[in-house]
Amino acid sequence: MRVPHVVVVGYGPVAARLADGLLPSVRRGTLALTIIGEEAAPAYNRVLVADLGVGRTTEEAISVSDPAGLAAAGVSVRMGVRVRRVDRARQAVLLADGTTLPYSRLVFATGARPVVPPLHGLNPDPDAPAALPRGVTALRDLADAAVLRRAVERRQRVVVLGGGILGLEAALAAHDEGAEVAVVHHGPHTLGRSIDAGAGHTVAAALRARGITVVADARALGVELGRADDGAPAFSGLLLDGGARVAGELLVLSCGVRARAGLAEGAGLAVDRGILVDHGLAALHDPHVFAIGDCAQVRCLDASCADCAPGNGPLGLIGPGWRQADWLAGVLAGIAGAPGPGAAGGTGSAAADVPLPAERAPVMMLKARGVDVVAAGDVASGPFDDVPGLAVSMWADPEHGKYVKMGTRGGVLAGFVSVGMPRTGAELALLFERGSELPADRSALLRLDGPDGLAVGAAASDPSRTVCRCAGVPAETITAAVAGGCESVADVSAATRAGTGCGGCHGQIRELIEAHFAPAVH
Amino acid sequence: MSRPDMPGTTPGTRLPAGPAAAAVGAAGTDTHCPYCALQCAMTLTPEPGTGTAVPVVAGRDFPTNRGGLCRKGWTSTALLGHPERLTTPLLRGPDGVHRPIGWDRALDLAAMKLAQTRRVHGADAVGVFGGGALTNEKAYQLGKFARLALGTSRIDYNGRFCMSSAAAAGNRAFGLDRGLPFPVEDLDGAHTILLLGSNVAETMPPFVQHLQGARAAGGLIVVDPRRTATADFTADGAGLHLQPVPATDLVLLLGLCHIVIHEGLADQDFLAGRTQGHHEVVRSVAQWWPERVQSVTGVPVHLLRETARLLAEGAGKGGSYILTGRGVEQHVDGTDTATAAINLALLLGLPGSSGSGYGTLTGQGNGQGGREHGQKADQLPGYRKITDPAARAHVARVWGVEPDDIPGPGLPAVELLGELGRSVRSFLIFGANVAVSAPDASRVVAGLRQLDFLVVADFFMSETAREADLVLPVRQWAEEEGTMTNLEGRVLRRRAAVAPPAGTRSELWIMAGLARRLQAPSMFSDDPETVFTELRAASAGGLADYSGIDYPLLDSGAAAYWPYPAGSTGTPRLFTDAFAHPGGRAVLVPVSPAAAEPVRDALFSGSALALVTGRLLEHYQSGAQTRRVPELAGAVPRALLLIHPLAAAARGISDGGPVTIENARGTVRCTARHSTTVRTDTVFLPFHFPGDESANLLTSAAADPISGMPEFKASSVAVTAGWATDSEPAAGNGTALPATIRQEAS
Repeated sequence: MRVPHVVVVGYGPVAARLADGLLPSVRRGTLALTIIGEEAAPAYNRVLVADLGVGRTTEEAISVSDPAGLAAAGVSVRMGVRVRRVDRARQAVLLADGTTLPYSRLVFATGARPVVPPLHGLNPDPDAPAALPRGVTALRDLADAAVLRRAVERRQRVVVLGGGILGLEAALAAHDEGAEVAVVHHGPHTLGRSIDAGAGHTVAAALRARGITVVADARALGVELGRADDGAPAFSGLLLDGGARVAGELLVLSCGVRARAGLAEGAGLAVDRGILVDHGLAALHDPHVFAIGDCAQVRCLDASCADCAPGNGPLGLIGPGWRQADWLAGVLAGIAGAPGPGAAGGTGSAAADVPLPAERAPVMMLKARGVDVVAAGDVASGPFDDVPGLAVSMWADPEHGKYVKMGTRGGVLAGFVSVGMPRTGAELALLFERGSELPADRSALLRLDGPDGLAVGAAASDPSRTVCRCAGVPAETITAAVAGGCESVADVSAATRAGTGCGGCHGQIRELIEAHFAPAVH
Repeated sequence: MSRPDMPGTTPGTRLPAGPAAAAVGAAGTDTHCPYCALQCAMTLTPEPGTGTAVPVVAGRDFPTNRGGLCRKGWTSTALLGHPERLTTPLLRGPDGVHRPIGWDRALDLAAMKLAQTRRVHGADAVGVFGGGALTNEKAYQLGKFARLALGTSRIDYNGRFCMSSAAAAGNRAFGLDRGLPFPVEDLDGAHTILLLGSNVAETMPPFVQHLQGARAAGGLIVVDPRRTATADFTADGAGLHLQPVPATDLVLLLGLCHIVIHEGLADQDFLAGRTQGHHEVVRSVAQWWPERVQSVTGVPVHLLRETARLLAEGAGKGGSYILTGRGVEQHVDGTDTATAAINLALLLGLPGSSGSGYGTLTGQGNGQGGREHGQKADQLPGYRKITDPAARAHVARVWGVEPDDIPGPGLPAVELLGELGRSVRSFLIFGANVAVSAPDASRVVAGLRQLDFLVVADFFMSETAREADLVLPVRQWAEEEGTMTNLEGRVLRRRAAVAPPAGTRSELWIMAGLARRLQAPSMFSDDPETVFTELRAASAGGLADYSGIDYPLLDSGAAAYWPYPAGSTGTPRLFTDAFAHPGGRAVLVPVSPAAAEPVRDALFSGSALALVTGRLLEHYQSGAQTRRVPELAGAVPRALLLIHPLAAAARGISDGGPVTIENARGTVRCTARHSTTVRTDTVFLPFHFPGDESANLLTSAAADPISGMPEFKASSVAVTAGWATDSEPAAGNGTALPATIRQEAS
């Protein structure tokens, strides 16, 4: 009997996760699996490409898949090969090398490609044969990381176009590792609508305090190409509306990503901002084809479905992609007649019976050292705006770079932003994701970053305070023993047992002895 | 403060001498504390002239405790000559009342009942449950007794609730599990110590002395959802306290591994030369970048990075240690969590390196020796696998039986207790109080009540003994000879300092008596030294080889660390040249948190809080002993629920007011104590108390698939003000026996 053949197009972190989930079925021989990756390298964690670009990590460390291990288990891994076409009528994919692969199920995990903005001097066509000019990179893959790495090593001037989270992360990392950095962005502040103006000011102040140039409200028009040392044309500056020019040797484009859906579109599948799939991740009108990760857009055929409000594009986050991969692995393993790996305990329930939970609104967290920014939900309203049902409280301390705003509905966070308050930000993120009610005293959340100020210990002068925790001896017992003739820690220990456990209180016992014998000074 | 104020002893009261006056009198007996695995050295001296049964306690200089004792140790002798001491076998009548019977009748009856169960339902219908407080001799002989005298595979012990996760992780990483593979004083010189899920300041106070060096270097890092007394030791520049959300320790450790790898802090030479599997681990943690870890654990990224740096820096400056405790191990993913801690240690090149290492802090007094000599369902003496034909042949030879006479592997504790009243019809319990200490305790008690015959050996009428058909009174630590193996794998002598009460017998004597009546093959002695001699032979050639140790050697004061094959001088430090796997390499095993999700309570849904359970300084385990020590019971007589004032305010719970904690498994009614030492989403309840205050009414019996460790440290609970009943909760201190028992027993 022929076993079902699953073909996965794409070998990024989401595809790798799917492969790991299908591995037990492949090992059992109930499923055949082929993975086709356009890049020559195995899957790596794209979240860490900026870190790689500034030399903070290595290619090996960001790798999330082991092609040799997959191959040893029986998976066919094809790296560095393009898929030319998908023939859905024949259920086959045609590869650039001329091979035809029939499939029982096809999974698109083609991810997204960076948006190349319409700037004079750049070709915005994603399929353009000529790459970006020298000195311009989109910081998406390993080659891009290598370009940034060279610039940082040479301490060159790096211009980051885009004030989104990835742009800021790249800017901060490049700056911290020695480059001279300018950030150029639309709008009045960075991070767009994820944060409000107050947080935006606080973030901008933090960037400037580090020596990063921030050009707000800017509209870039074109790139200026000068000559590199070898005489070849290379980026030399970004030209802005109004005539300004931001000079640099490297331009990092961080203007968002767009789903890689061309192949699917060419196969006649419905595509909007991504390949349209239903809540079971199956392409609309073709139950043999699935899409997961950055290339997929969940939009079912039910016009009234709240989870599929038009305008919801792919999230562009790795977490939801991995959850989709885990879930789909369960479904595909079920097709192969085996319990899904989603049921890791081996309960054997068909994963397909459990619907994929809708993704909650994502929490945005800046990956940067020393600049703590966490935000989620809607943070546009202020404390005195009259928004029915929404209560907003906030704290601003610009001098010290701290800013927190929390908006709640019925006591539960509807949105928040926290800048410069790591512990507060971490707790708010947990509370947001859980949908837990906030404490009525919101200020308690602000004090988490204080120096243990909430501890209500016994005052140091309280005679009933416990001095020796191990033996349970209060100060008054020790004082009485000293009054009764004990002159040393050893004496006190012998008389009261204080100090006979861990010995951590010897200093305090000594102080009590000294206090007793010290001449009264007024 | 995490605990109520403790009334101290009043000055002028005559107290046993502290270490300053610890000179040992001629009549003093050197032994070790009855309680935890630190096994603090103490000397017991008869009170001059009084002739009473209660000797004077003095701390004794020893590398582990350096003369120090905690409050439990100082007051330990209060249990000798205690008025509630059981001094005669008790048989429960049809009216439910326990009445004294003679020893001969007791053992005749037990043997008859056990034989009958075996005849009617098969050998595996008899189960045996041991404990980590039993001496090596008892633990060894209990395993032999179950397999030869009863012919059953169904033996396990309460150490399953204690050390099994760390043991499983140690075995798969190093090929061998010895809690600390180095002497405890090695910690003194460390620059960095990462302590995960262990509150040593309360659970083994004298141990804290060994953290002093790291504190002075600013390198003590404590991971605990509570700001415990131990976490307080990190204040003022002594180190860091990481306060993760309960049940996220595994993710925290994966994040630390990630940082070590990505910041180039890993010891590449060590990984290449002494380990295997690190590439898989590198790949598996690539997905746990610090910000993602923060979003799961609530621990800020900068603390994660600082922790990784302190560990790496310490490795080059005096040494770094990673130590785990029950807080991270008592989970359905406890083995994987301990494995992640070991992976972190291996990435940094710590294990087997001079001045650095990984260890787990064993809990019970003989939690180490108790897990080596055959009390475990899957194990034979010498830490041998019961499924290994060579191991079976060796042990059979020592026992003088055929390998086929030894049953195969049995069931781990939670499963075994789940069979009570089902496939297990008769049950023997030695040194455990499962009615209080087992997870989902009400189900365990229900199981005990469905048995055909329950025998419990104890020195007090514990909550478990109350359920027994037959209660057998045994002896306490200061009344017996034997050996214990402490948390370092050092074998210690326990010595008798006082005469046992008439009417009590040792467990060895009971086993010997029953074995004779059951016409068991081989030999069952009631003499500890004879049993130890046999244990040595049985352990010879195993991982935990005791063959070179004997009583005279221990009595000479020799520091005997296993493995100690005959002709050697023992092994204070393991792994210095090679790990115990064939080929000598340590194995890094990639782990992931996914597997735990389906079986763990869903935490933080709605207004539910996470319940964490643990120990207090004043009490020990199920409290059967410490609740009977007046000074300790007086200091903490009842269970207090620690709850953050914000969480309490939202529920109208006042400080010191009544509080009800419940979930689908049970309901606890106790008293609330406001404390900012717990997270706002977490409450803490000690597990030392019985009845309505028993924390394990709420814990889940869901267990780690590898180790069988239950999920003690993360339960979802609803917490409300009041008791929803007119009456006081049932007795918390458990010291009051029903009048019938007191009369009948006296």
